[in-house]
Amino acid sequence: MNNIFKFAIYIFLTLAFAWLAFFVGAKNQYGDLEPTSQYLEENNSIPKGADLFPQSMPGVAQLGAKEYLSLGCVTCHTQQVRTIDAGFDVERGWGKRPSVPRDYILQKEVLLGHNRVGPDLANIGLRGYTREWLHKHLFNPQILVEGSICQPSPFLYDISNERSSGAINADNKADDNVSTIFIKPSLRANRIVSYLQSLKQDYELPEMSFIETQDEDDTEDIKLAEVGTAKDDQVGLPTWLADQIASGKEIYSKITPGGGMCVACHLPNGLGQPGAIPPLDRSDWVLGDKERLIKISIHGLMGEVVVNEEKYVGVMQGFGQPLGSPLNDQQIADVLTYIRNEWGNSVSAISPEEVKAVRDSEKDRELTAMWTEAELQKENSSD
Amino acid sequence: MKKTSEQQIDQSAKFAFSFFVASAGLWLLAAALLAYIAAAKLTDPLFLSSWEFFTYGKIKISQANAFVYGWGGNSIFAVSLWIVARLSQSPVRGTIFLIFAGSMWNLAITFGLLGILDGHMLGHELLEMPKEVWPALFISYLIIAFLILVVFRSRRQSVTIAPQWFIVAALIWFPCLFLFAWNGLEINAGRGTLQSILSMWFGQNIIWLWLTPVALGCAYYIIPSVLNRPIDKYYLAIFGFWCIAGLAPWSVVHHLEGGPVPMWVPAIGTVMSIAMVFPIAVASTNFHATAFKDISRVWNYLPLRFVIFGTLSYTISSYIGVIFSVPAVAKLTQFSIINEFHFNQRVYGFFSMIIFGMVYHILPQVTGKEIGTAAKNFHFWTSALGVFALLLAYLIGGLTHGVLAQQPSLAWINVIESVKPYFLITEFAFLILGFSQLVFVLNLWKVIVPNPFSCCEKNLEQKTA
Repeated sequence: MNNIFKFAIYIFLTLAFAWLAFFVGAKNQYGDLEPTSQYLEENNSIPKGADLFPQSMPGVAQLGAKEYLSLGCVTCHTQQVRTIDAGFDVERGWGKRPSVPRDYILQKEVLLGHNRVGPDLANIGLRGYTREWLHKHLFNPQILVEGSICQPSPFLYDISNERSSGAINADNKADDNVSTIFIKPSLRANRIVSYLQSLKQDYELPEMSFIETQDEDDTEDIKLAEVGTAKDDQVGLPTWLADQIASGKEIYSKITPGGGMCVACHLPNGLGQPGAIPPLDRSDWVLGDKERLIKISIHGLMGEVVVNEEKYVGVMQGFGQPLGSPLNDQQIADVLTYIRNEWGNSVSAISPEEVKAVRDSEKDRELTAMWTEAELQKENSSD
Repeated sequence: MKKTSEQQIDQSAKFAFSFFVASAGLWLLAAALLAYIAAAKLTDPLFLSSWEFFTYGKIKISQANAFVYGWGGNSIFAVSLWIVARLSQSPVRGTIFLIFAGSMWNLAITFGLLGILDGHMLGHELLEMPKEVWPALFISYLIIAFLILVVFRSRRQSVTIAPQWFIVAALIWFPCLFLFAWNGLEINAGRGTLQSILSMWFGQNIIWLWLTPVALGCAYYIIPSVLNRPIDKYYLAIFGFWCIAGLAPWSVVHHLEGGPVPMWVPAIGTVMSIAMVFPIAVASTNFHATAFKDISRVWNYLPLRFVIFGTLSYTISSYIGVIFSVPAVAKLTQFSIINEFHFNQRVYGFFSMIIFGMVYHILPQVTGKEIGTAAKNFHFWTSALGVFALLLAYLIGGLTHGVLAQQPSLAWINVIESVKPYFLITEFAFLILGFSQLVFVLNLWKVIVPNPFSCCEKNLEQKTA
């Protein structure tokens, strides 16, 4: 202690040991991780021709990461889904599985963060937000999420009072003719949105597979019990209905092509998100007019809607669209029957014939032409 | 004879000490202003939102940097210089180099903060200032630390005591930490989450191994010297010192619990954090057992009141920190605003309070001018009130935040709605703190900067007399 040089060496060593473990040790353990396939062969080799994960971000998203960093978004947003034992992240729907070190190896800026004033963003690209929604949120979060304390970034947008091509309606009023604020995203805003959309851990890895949340498990147990005891139970469902609901549930929850991806936005609990995604649970639209419901699921819906007396602004893609793999009449009937009989809902089923009837009556309408609330209301009242 | 030698030492330290304290004070005000803007933006997101310069993330990060490097760095230089010189009974040498390096340090931080606000920040905790300023910071630091260590080397007595260990160790820790982190983050950059481990390690260690030991060293110096009695159970101090040195570098990574890093990293962090009860208990016993033997003197001598406030805050909130590193609790509080509680209790409640006390203790001796008692008292009570309000709001708000976030069915916006009232309290607390720090800086400047009219007043008095 009395010799400054000896003392300095001890002081240096206290740090050096910790550094050896946390940096050199950890680097030896996992510093050379490489992308791998979702499942390995028995001898632990990667199957031929398999897709490798994680995949690197598109170039524009990598530029977006720099913008995200320079604006200090990491102060309030983490990008990590904790393990089941350590937190509630998967249950909250912030990821399909905990994050693992391999997810980050291709990122130049690793922005794990350690404060969550805002939600975790590790899987923001999976939550089904459209570019338009993200731009509006960047421009002014309060018009989409009332009470949000996220910082508006109007300096990333050209603001004008008139509609022009490529501009987004960023007023509280969804109707383009009434609106007085239109925003045109700058290059930087587009980069940030591309970055956010590229954030997704939607693949399984040999070391970590998807985790079914407790919530889903519970409802599945109940459903199985209901189906299993259908014959003995007076209030049990007829087999055809149980089949339709089971198939509908699968379509609702499936996020890969061939599924409806409904769960991404409306969530497993069917509650959606305040201000952006209307709930399905006990919704007057789901329980109400069948035709309107079928129309929305075929062509989609955009703009402002009022559900259960609450206002929502957003875009829902139609599932009759030729993009990817459209759902057929039977599938649409199944998934609609499912949402009409899940959570607190219990009303009549929808048959494939009813879906076909609507499809035929609207066959002149382009499949990509989304409905607006005004259109649907008008048709309803003229009927 | 002894008296004159002490005065000579004070005289030799006067210029450099005043320079560092004055710049520390200015940085403190800058940090207070930034802290208030950040807090105000959390309660009203539209506040100053149209200027990119004032984005919340940038303000928040530059506040932490201004505080740690501007206020923390300069005040560390000031008090270490004086304490080391006094304990070594050896005068300060190379004042001109100290001033030169100090100006370089301040200039580098200024450019660094402007760089952050202009959008060039790095993504590493407390290493956010742009790459270009770090060489200047590092070199100026080395010059200052070298000159302080020169004073230490030329000490009269070869046996060292606790304040010297803590202060000298802190002076050596910072450059080592910086080199380790810089190597792993910029030179041989590790891929993926290796960066996150190292950045967490550096950012937390700056607090634990740079700010904390200096403040502890100050307390070990001022308590026995003012009370004129030896530290109670002084033989434990060496154990406490090596416990901090041995455990702190390992304990800081427990914040990564459950994250995408190898499991042993946060596991070691958790175990070592819990083991930190030993050094905390030692320091607390040493300070408080000594201070409470003569509590009236502590209460009546304001600098010591500041210091004991700091050591009490250190003890209480370090124990709270240990509790929050236990995995079952960490699950709730890990990413909540409890983190703000930890940071602010360490930099405001503990470090700053002790430094305030030290400055009030040293400044009259160095300059020969007294600071008004009422002004000092006002500063103490507003600081205490601000710190209490701030820490309570972050503590209770953090628990609310963590517990509500645990409910998956509760929409995130509802969680934040419940935390909003606490953000409002912190805004007021930062306002109070900013006000009290303004008083502190005015107190300093009145003493340090020569009043151009003072000579005339004296003449006038003489004439009237």
